[in-house]
Amino acid sequence: MIRTLLWVIGKRLAAIVPVFAIVSMLVFAALRVLPVDPAQMSLPPSATIEQVEAKREEMGLTKPIWEQYAIWVRSAAQGDFGESAQYRMPTTRLVLDRLPATIELATCALLVAVTFGIMAGLLIFSLRGTIFETIGMVITSAIMALPDFLLALLFILLFGVLIPIFPVNGRLDPEFSVPLRTGFLLFDSVLAGEPRALLNALSHMALPTLALGLAFSPTIVRVLHSSLVSTYQQSYIRQARLRGLSDRSILFGQALKNAILPVVVLVGTQFGGLFGGTLLVELIFSYPGMGNLMLKAMQTVDLNVIMAVALIYCGTTLLFTSLADAGAYLLNPRLRA
Amino acid sequence: MKRFARLADLRFLLSAAVVVTIVLVAILAPHIVPYEPNDQDLLNILMPPVFAGGSPEHLLGTDSLGRDTLSRLIYGARTAMTVAIFASTGAMLVGSFLANIAGYFGGRIDWAISRMVEIWLSFPPVVLSMLLIVGLGIGTDKVILAIILVDWTRFCRVLRTEVLVARRQDYVSFALLAGFSNSRVILKEVLPGIFPMLVTLFSLQMGISIVVEAILSFVSMGVPSDVPAWGQMIADARIDIYSAPWGVALPILTIFVAVLSFNVLGDSLNRVLDPRSKIAHSS
Amino acid sequence: MKHQNVLVIGGLEVSLPNGHRILNGIDLTIESGRILGVIGESGAGKSMIGSCIADTLPAGLRISRGSIDFDGLPLNSVTAKSRRALLGRDIGFIPQEPMTALNPSLTIGHQVGRHLARIGFASARLREECAIHLFEEVGLDRPKELLSNYPHQLSGGMLQRVLIAMAFASNPKLVIADEPTTALDVTIQAKVVELIARMVENHTTSVLFITHDLRLAADLCDEVAVLYAGRIVESGAASTIIREPLHPYSRCLNLAAPNLSGPLRPLLILPRTMPSAAERTLMQGCEFAPRCPVADTICATQKPSIGLVAQDHRSACHYPERSGSIEPPPARTGALPDVAGTDVILRAGGLQKTYALHDWMGRVRKVEALRGLDFDVRDREFVGVVGESGSGKSTLTKLIVGLENVTTGRLDVAGHSCEDRSAAALRAMRQKVQLVFQDPQSALNPRRTVGSLVTQGLEAQSGRLSGEARQAIAQELLAKVMLPPDVIDRFPDQLSGGQKQRVNIARALCFSPRLLVADEIVSGLDVSVQAQILELLRTLREQAGFALLLISHDLAVVRHICDRALVMFKGEIVEQGPVEDVFGNPRHDYTKALVAAARGAPSSHKAAGRE
Repeated sequence: MIRTLLWVIGKRLAAIVPVFAIVSMLVFAALRVLPVDPAQMSLPPSATIEQVEAKREEMGLTKPIWEQYAIWVRSAAQGDFGESAQYRMPTTRLVLDRLPATIELATCALLVAVTFGIMAGLLIFSLRGTIFETIGMVITSAIMALPDFLLALLFILLFGVLIPIFPVNGRLDPEFSVPLRTGFLLFDSVLAGEPRALLNALSHMALPTLALGLAFSPTIVRVLHSSLVSTYQQSYIRQARLRGLSDRSILFGQALKNAILPVVVLVGTQFGGLFGGTLLVELIFSYPGMGNLMLKAMQTVDLNVIMAVALIYCGTTLLFTSLADAGAYLLNPRLRA
Repeated sequence: MKRFARLADLRFLLSAAVVVTIVLVAILAPHIVPYEPNDQDLLNILMPPVFAGGSPEHLLGTDSLGRDTLSRLIYGARTAMTVAIFASTGAMLVGSFLANIAGYFGGRIDWAISRMVEIWLSFPPVVLSMLLIVGLGIGTDKVILAIILVDWTRFCRVLRTEVLVARRQDYVSFALLAGFSNSRVILKEVLPGIFPMLVTLFSLQMGISIVVEAILSFVSMGVPSDVPAWGQMIADARIDIYSAPWGVALPILTIFVAVLSFNVLGDSLNRVLDPRSKIAHSS
Repeated sequence: MKHQNVLVIGGLEVSLPNGHRILNGIDLTIESGRILGVIGESGAGKSMIGSCIADTLPAGLRISRGSIDFDGLPLNSVTAKSRRALLGRDIGFIPQEPMTALNPSLTIGHQVGRHLARIGFASARLREECAIHLFEEVGLDRPKELLSNYPHQLSGGMLQRVLIAMAFASNPKLVIADEPTTALDVTIQAKVVELIARMVENHTTSVLFITHDLRLAADLCDEVAVLYAGRIVESGAASTIIREPLHPYSRCLNLAAPNLSGPLRPLLILPRTMPSAAERTLMQGCEFAPRCPVADTICATQKPSIGLVAQDHRSACHYPERSGSIEPPPARTGALPDVAGTDVILRAGGLQKTYALHDWMGRVRKVEALRGLDFDVRDREFVGVVGESGSGKSTLTKLIVGLENVTTGRLDVAGHSCEDRSAAALRAMRQKVQLVFQDPQSALNPRRTVGSLVTQGLEAQSGRLSGEARQAIAQELLAKVMLPPDVIDRFPDQLSGGQKQRVNIARALCFSPRLLVADEIVSGLDVSVQAQILELLRTLREQAGFALLLISHDLAVVRHICDRALVMFKGEIVEQGPVEDVFGNPRHDYTKALVAAARGAPSSHKAAGRE
């Protein structure tokens, strides 16, 4: 079974490659038909036309588009994503500096979302038929109306201004310093044996993670709830009951395995949204991750950075979609026939 | 059970009422604002709302340039509604058209459209809309276009499933056997069946469009800076969040109420329009 | 032998929240080791009885009166937890649809194992041994392999055997079988019934066998109770009730079912329908009175109580002796008049159809649905196609009407060859051949009114009809299928199953086709409703308007209205000829098995060893 699982994942990953390639081409093309001239953006406003032209030449913008793309692909395959026009640093360096922070944030947010979502969904479902189910669903709808960036701002208002218990800026208080080995603050502080730094990092992560995770959880709650409702309408649940199995063993032993499938698919396909949400959350909490980098790059039309970060977003989304597919395959024996 | 049915109707009425109010405010904006939204009054900056110690001249206070918050919120509704209606309609038209073609004809067309949706969906929607703005430039119409280009996939994916289900029904086979042309079958047999889901998605999309517009204006990549927008109000007020928190709280509240009412409306519309649930109510 | 009663139900009433009664006072007794059949049509409330015993009534319904005693234990006064403890141990269940009765994401072994663990098998090894032993007992091959299979990998018949094994595993005192054979093919049905009889002997269990099929009950059950509108109207020994019923309803039910042997006679049609829960609560007199052919004035005002009318034979009727006088309409002779013409309306030669299936992973598998069919249908002739699932009958209908393409071979329909695929030819052909779909639920667009549905065929033609003209045509068509004119503005969801099926037929008739293809149009309908449709088809046949190709798994139905029959098995026609010949004197082995199963094996179930 492990072998078939790897085969499925492998097949899906192989299917991603052409999609990835097409996406890279589309983004590349889209970024070249801009109303704004990136060369002009990277020079001071007083630059002369000749200087702008020279800059365009230097940036390779005068060549035909497929040639530009080919050049880009060749360097990208070697890990060179060009130089950032704004920071005048290699893009790869810039991105790799910021990437761990975002991954840390996204992963923790995902954990929060899934844990909270599944627990809430199970709780609300076990209260079905009572007024508490309705209350639960109403609260869920209310949270759904608050996208991640609004929740983030709300948290700043509540826990940053009103009842200041969590910090609202950055990753770590300035008095702490942790040698960065992996870039993942949580790991690094453990590795360096600095528990206070770990706690501080966690408190800085608290609000952004909660905002992202909480914003993502209502969909999980709703999908799990409706999935459980429709699973319970199936004949085999009634038959299990007729064989005398208890409510608890029916929920956990029979129903959950079937009902969790749509949730797995949902998490996989929506992860891209979560990852994209890091963009705004990082901005709002001044969190030094990729999101902040991307925003600045978009405002200054820093093509190389935009391209690199966009592809990372893309790749992550595609990766998680395939994982969701593999998960569905595992959970649904009918697909394996 | 009857109690819950009445509760469901209550939700429909309430959400519909709020939605209608917002739309009316948006339409009547120029006639109901107490001040011009861009009029600055540098002597009265960062005033709190009247219930938090401010003066009744500015019911909801002023921002950092002395502009009246209430007027800006009302005009912000106008912006939000304009963007939302055009964007949602556009996304619905494009998405449902492609969904019908893909689901009905199947085969290679379905494969091609599904691959296209897949490619589109490999981007986080927020990032994609921002990228499109980078490519298209700033402006209300560009925002609308960007939302259409990102969110048509939502309509396409969900409706395609519905169309596939409808396509397999025997009554579609019958219509074909009776000599109906493909377009007639789609219009008369398939479309009425997916209509409830279409309306629900449209309502949801209105909520999403409001949010996207707010996000884009928050990062100054949306409507032009002289057009009042809720997201922009939040961005402006964020600088003074410690001294004047209401400046941030009020637009957040407005967005929340607007999105919530569209979401609830969409949900209840689904229940109202679906003939299967109608039978349950009538018996 | 102990004669203690395993189940005693007294005066059981089940009510809806608004007070309307679905079950209106049921009295039942099952003795140890006996099989009691409960016969009823849909709406009578037969499934409620099982739900009451198991305490699984749907939300809102409750037992408003009466008692259920299980092996001396009054179930009403026992806690819910103790009742649940009985389920699976002392009371077993065999469900109706085996394909959906097991969890699709768990293996058979896992689910059987959980059940065995619950009834006391402590170790995993013991459970496996027991499971294998049980599977062998119910006649499953390679039991050890089956344990690691998933439900979707087994056929309906095999799954039902697994479920039967689980039900009997704990040597329960009572097994409740709720229509366990309805979803299965005829030949499998016979085997399952045989199996149940065998299990009853081996485990000395009592069985409550719920069904709508009279003949099946007569074969298997010792005693039978007939349920109508929430009350038992007749009960007694199975053979007596089937042969000499002493209640008008039982007799009418008998006469409404087509039979496979014996003289061909018109079916008895009962007017109106069974009273709903609301109606039966308000009725003063006998619930059957409005439809009873021998009702009298007292029947409408006084409810008859169930009483002994003969040795071990009870009936709830004021005039039980009148039942014998009920006869079907004598109007015409039983035999079908020969109206068939000599022109051939359909000719198939070497007809083949192969499907190429793509699965989830992209692999392709070839399935041969039809392997070379040769047959004719003459003008105005009624031909029946019988076969079980997998025989290819549905594929044949799709080829005939042009919904699928022929792979090889020849198919001429109403003068159009299958090779001519031009739009004009197809359109012309479709005017002459119409398909009546099997599932009225998916065949009728729920958003169109009945009037719009039956005249839908006219919409496609050029030349717009006025509203009144269309209305008039709709009325005409509805009259032809004997539907009242007021249904014209209703939606399909507001119609009963029989009414929907008649709308289906009317819609096909709108084209005045020369060939009508009807795919299982009476399966799933109650006996009385089925009788209406069959007699309708007979009447239409006499008007000699069209030829009919009737697909059915029910041989009696085919025998009742068809001139000729084709028997299909795994994509081939194994036998064809005049109906009486094929069913009365089958030559091919498969036909013989089919006919034997349909007739029902002789009463060898009720073995001499049991009392």
